[in-house]
Amino acid sequence: MGRFRLRTLAMAAGSFVGITALTVVVSAGGAAERRIQATGRHHFGESSILVMAGGAPLMSGPRGEAARLTLDDAEALAREAPGIESWDPQQVLPGAPVKRGDATATARVLGASERAPLVWSRGVTQGVFFDAAAVAQAARVAVIGETVARQLFGNEDPLDAEILVRNVPFRVIGVLEPFGTDIHGMDRDAEIVVPISTAMRRLLNVDTIVAIKLLVRDPSRVDEAAGEVRRILRERHGLAEGQKSDFSMVTAILVKKMVARVQRVLIVFLPLVAGISLLAGGAASAALMLASVSGRVSENGLRRAVGARAKDIGLQFLLETTLTTLAGGLAGLAVGGGLALYVIRRFHLEGGLSPLAVALGLGLSLAVGLLAGVLPARRGAALAPAAALR
Amino acid sequence: MIALEGVTKTYTRPGGDSVEALRGVSLSINRGEMVAILGTSGSGKSTLLSVLGLLDVPTGGRYLLDDADVSSLAGDAQARLRNARIGFVFQAFHLLPRTSALQNVELPLLYSERSSLDGLARKALESVGLADRMKHTPEELSGGQQQRVAIARALVNEPDLLLADEPTGNLDSRTAGEILDLLGALNAAGRTVVLVTHDAALAARCKRVVRIEDGRIASDEVNAVNVVNA
Ligand SMILES: Nc1ncnc2c1ncn2[C@@H]1O[C@H](COP(=O)(O)OP(=O)(O)OP(=O)(O)O)[C@@H](O)[C@H]1O
Ligand SMILES: [Mg+2]
Repeated sequence: MGRFRLRTLAMAAGSFVGITALTVVVSAGGAAERRIQATGRHHFGESSILVMAGGAPLMSGPRGEAARLTLDDAEALAREAPGIESWDPQQVLPGAPVKRGDATATARVLGASERAPLVWSRGVTQGVFFDAAAVAQAARVAVIGETVARQLFGNEDPLDAEILVRNVPFRVIGVLEPFGTDIHGMDRDAEIVVPISTAMRRLLNVDTIVAIKLLVRDPSRVDEAAGEVRRILRERHGLAEGQKSDFSMVTAILVKKMVARVQRVLIVFLPLVAGISLLAGGAASAALMLASVSGRVSENGLRRAVGARAKDIGLQFLLETTLTTLAGGLAGLAVGGGLALYVIRRFHLEGGLSPLAVALGLGLSLAVGLLAGVLPARRGAALAPAAALR
Repeated sequence: MIALEGVTKTYTRPGGDSVEALRGVSLSINRGEMVAILGTSGSGKSTLLSVLGLLDVPTGGRYLLDDADVSSLAGDAQARLRNARIGFVFQAFHLLPRTSALQNVELPLLYSERSSLDGLARKALESVGLADRMKHTPEELSGGQQQRVAIARALVNEPDLLLADEPTGNLDSRTAGEILDLLGALNAAGRTVVLVTHDAALAARCKRVVRIEDGRIASDEVNAVNVVNA
């Protein structure tokens, strides 16, 4: 091999690049996909309906001021739509200054009902969540996320301490279950949850809410319930037939579609890119190996002349390409694995080098080597020794 | 040992025209002979030697090696014969570059079916007088030394037939003489040697000289005196 070092290196580089890409995509892509699915399930179980103020579709920026969604709307929906198990109204203060003594932080403040832990599947790890009485009295109590707790309290116990949210004093009664970063890259532990009434009256001074999440008892009837929700809300908002809704709705089905769209990128597109680069690497290997056959005609002729059988020559070529691409593949696995781990850590994903990536990487570089070697092996073996030595 | 019966070889070029390189060669060579094949360029010497060395298949006729027809043998069986019974020396040496003399000589052993191969390559190199150049690569050896390495490679499997196609063609006359002496010594030690040359002076030093003209044997003579210094 030493005699054809550059060619060998180039050949190994082909499978190296391909396998690196593949490893990153399969490992990091897999982790991202798991995250998306978990997030989807977490926030959006099969039985959820999310109603948001404003006609804009999901996740497309701020909604119009004209949009009006009220607590009365929420109560009416819970009462009149069929099979509603629970519901939670939401109000949001996107970035509020929070203080405790000299320590400051910026947090997203959410107003919610006492049913939020059930409806959003997120409870507390310390203390308690606020109860119905707190909501009824618009009590100044807060449940804070871990990031907020760390920024304001360090290692101290936050429970029962007083914090200022937009200069309004609140008593900390609980710490939210950690969540980490969501698919939009937002730190969901930099949040504070307060009673919806407190948020509306004391922090925002509004009589509207931004969203309602409804849980349907029977997941198979979500569509039916969603239809009723739309009808009731349009009626309450006095919308005529053909007029655009001043609210938007998300159901599990819609979320599934979105997740599927992201997954298509992760599962189909990225591996396609990796596959193409691997193919290119394989083609390059084959071309280089063929060049190597013509460059080694006399060597092969000589080997034949001293007793090598045609299949010995073929096997030698096959072995050389396979070992070369395999070496490139192993290097690709190492580098790709490192990159994948970096990406996973950088984006707060879970998981590591996927066993699938390892299997695929080894298998494919082996296959590329074999395929790239077949033609050269045939060529090399077919020549009569005399012709090869001329 | 060797018997060619009406051997022909026709090369067909991709264009369709064909060249009759051998036009019915019948020749027999006994064990232990040293034969020079003499002829002008293009007369068919290399083609004849390739057929003898099983490097090429004749178009017609028979090739008997120890009374067995080898021209119709399968490729693998021919490879085995090339490995075990025939040593071939080329005008252009054909050594693997950047590979030590020892490794070059070991090449045929790679494909050998013999059980004990230890020390054979060393022994072969010693027998051609290159005991002190084992680790040298072809680039570090003179032309004469390179051809000695090639001869050692042809000898390593202890074949009984040694074929040399203009082994001295790339060497100066003094070195050529030394190589010829070496081949003579190998013949004296019992090997059958067939040597191709277009140099009548070199051929004259062999006991038997076969002249080829235009793909046919023109003469086949035994020299009165064997002048090779054995
Ligand atoms: N592969 C081939 N295809 C076509 N013609 C060939 C081929 N090999 C040899 N020939 C022709 O066959 C004839 C005999 O060639 P050969 O190589 O045996 O000659 P030679 O006696 O060894 O000559 P030289 O002394 O120049 O080596 C020549 O006319 C040559 O052109
Ligand atoms: Mg010739």
